[in-house]
Amino acid sequence: MAELVLRGLSKCFGEVTAVAGVDLTVASGEFVSLLGPSGCGKTTVLRMLAGLVEPTAGAVLIDGEDVTRLPSHRRRLGLVFQSYALFPHLSVFDNVAFGLRRQGVRGAALTERTMAALALVRLGQLAERLPRQLSGGQQQRVALARAVAPAPRLLLLDEPLSNLDALLRDEMQIELKRLQRELRITSIFVTHDQAEALSLADRVCVLREGRVQQVGTPEEIYHRPASGFVAAFIGRSNRLPATVEAADGAGAVLRLADGTRLATAARGLAAGATVAAIIRHHAVRPAAAGLAGTVALRSFAGAQVQLVVRLAGGGELVAQCATGTPGAALAAGDAVQLAIEPADVFVAPDSGTA
Amino acid sequence: MSAQRGIGLLLITPLGLVLLVAFVLPVLLMLPTSFRPYTAGGPAATGWTLDNYTQIVTDPYFHEVLGRTFTMGAVVTLLCLLAGYPLALVLARAQPATQRWLTLLVVFPLLLNLVVRSFGWIALLANHGLVNNALIAAHLIAAPLRLMYNLTGLVIGLVHILLPFMVLVLVAALRAVPRDAEAAAGTLGAGPLKTFFLVTLPLTGPGMFAGSVLVFVLSISALVTPRLLGGPAYKVMATVIYDEFLASLDWPSGAALAFVLTLIALIIVAAAGLLTRRWTAAP
Repeated sequence: MAELVLRGLSKCFGEVTAVAGVDLTVASGEFVSLLGPSGCGKTTVLRMLAGLVEPTAGAVLIDGEDVTRLPSHRRRLGLVFQSYALFPHLSVFDNVAFGLRRQGVRGAALTERTMAALALVRLGQLAERLPRQLSGGQQQRVALARAVAPAPRLLLLDEPLSNLDALLRDEMQIELKRLQRELRITSIFVTHDQAEALSLADRVCVLREGRVQQVGTPEEIYHRPASGFVAAFIGRSNRLPATVEAADGAGAVLRLADGTRLATAARGLAAGATVAAIIRHHAVRPAAAGLAGTVALRSFAGAQVQLVVRLAGGGELVAQCATGTPGAALAAGDAVQLAIEPADVFVAPDSGTA
Repeated sequence: MSAQRGIGLLLITPLGLVLLVAFVLPVLLMLPTSFRPYTAGGPAATGWTLDNYTQIVTDPYFHEVLGRTFTMGAVVTLLCLLAGYPLALVLARAQPATQRWLTLLVVFPLLLNLVVRSFGWIALLANHGLVNNALIAAHLIAAPLRLMYNLTGLVIGLVHILLPFMVLVLVAALRAVPRDAEAAAGTLGAGPLKTFFLVTLPLTGPGMFAGSVLVFVLSISALVTPRLLGGPAYKVMATVIYDEFLASLDWPSGAALAFVLTLIALIIVAAAGLLTRRWTAAP
């Protein structure tokens, strides 16, 4: 229940700049996800928020109070680790009560608040167990209860779901979102999993090489990526090398390696530049006219059918069609025409890393 | 699975044989000796007796030696723990480059011969040794302090010799403490001191215990240092056993004492193993 402001937050490890001037404002009760590939500095940002890493420059403000130089035990926040980091020598109850005891809560109030936190994650019946007697999912829920029990100002989550198997992860996602809604606690969630970030967060902050690429709602990030990097990172995309043939205020025409032309709505491109066209799988649709090719592979995935199409001029495109649409009925070897809306063609600088 | 076990058995066979022939057999050969009556002149006595064991239980001299041995063991263990823990903490948390140098410094005394190190302590602790001379020259004391031929001397020497064992065990225990758990204690409002006493120290408990058992068993069975720093009069179990065998030529008594000491050490090690298993196993 606190507002969080990051102002020009930076961290250098020797010569390496891990975080380069991150500005971010998180409203009270908001759930923000820091999303980026490994090594983008997202965990370093989180550890600076927690007071575990000292920033090289910049400031962290919680409710207007500058906590940049405050040691972590005086920041009053909850941190959930990827490794859970439960105290192995303490029972589940004592783990969850740890933060409350540090605040001087004793006796009946301690029992009541600890059990309430355990009830939140539905583990009240396991209070007497030791962490090693619990499954991974249960341990993660204890870690969550431990972090929220002392009513912290901020809840920080460092890839808390990445050590769980897929089924459990989906379950925990829902649990986490429900908990965050119930407690209305300002939360920062670090992840490299775009699906997790999009489904959990109110807003997503995409990081790359220590810099903020885009901050927005999951819908904005998905439908209006600010850069080719964000477009390539979110969703599953085709990536085609191209050169900008012509550009004006309304968009540009790209020339693919094989000579075919592709219209894009991306603006601010310079004619002649070497770029990469980023096209999401689902934006590639079989149509009456468009890029010509043959279906090389077809794979069925339940609600979706994926087609790998070899273009007539060389190169490959992956198209994704909903089951039941005409495209889904195509078989390997069939000729096909592919249509792509200009608005669905994002452009990234051809750096090779995106 | 069984093939793997067969290979495992094969691999430990050479060392197993060496231990059996060079260690277990000689010890077992001493067992009958410890039940023989003592006859002056050598071990070739006949008949059986329990006297060698009953005298250990009844003779106040042996009570004193046993008490002294265990007091010494306890004090040495406690001091090693108190001196070793901070050192191990610094070592475990140092930068890798510093860590290499510190480890070398800790292990270095082990590379020196035990006798040399004990003589070094004699030079320091004797009545006209370096320490007493310096204290007298500084007019801090009038007469030399008795630093040798008593518990003080033995404890000083043994702590110095056994400290590396304690430190190495503690460093391993400290490295196994998850740093995230300590960071978690911090974010939950525990300052560095509270974090140490509530998280780090309890988590190194089994390590402290293992190190203590090791140091205790090594100190009650140490011979060279007690012999040199304890002199002819201040005796512990190991020196008494040595003298029974080589000075009095009373092999039966010496063997009985040796078995008592071995039995005590074995009981301590077994109890320690049992306790550790109970701590770490899920009930």
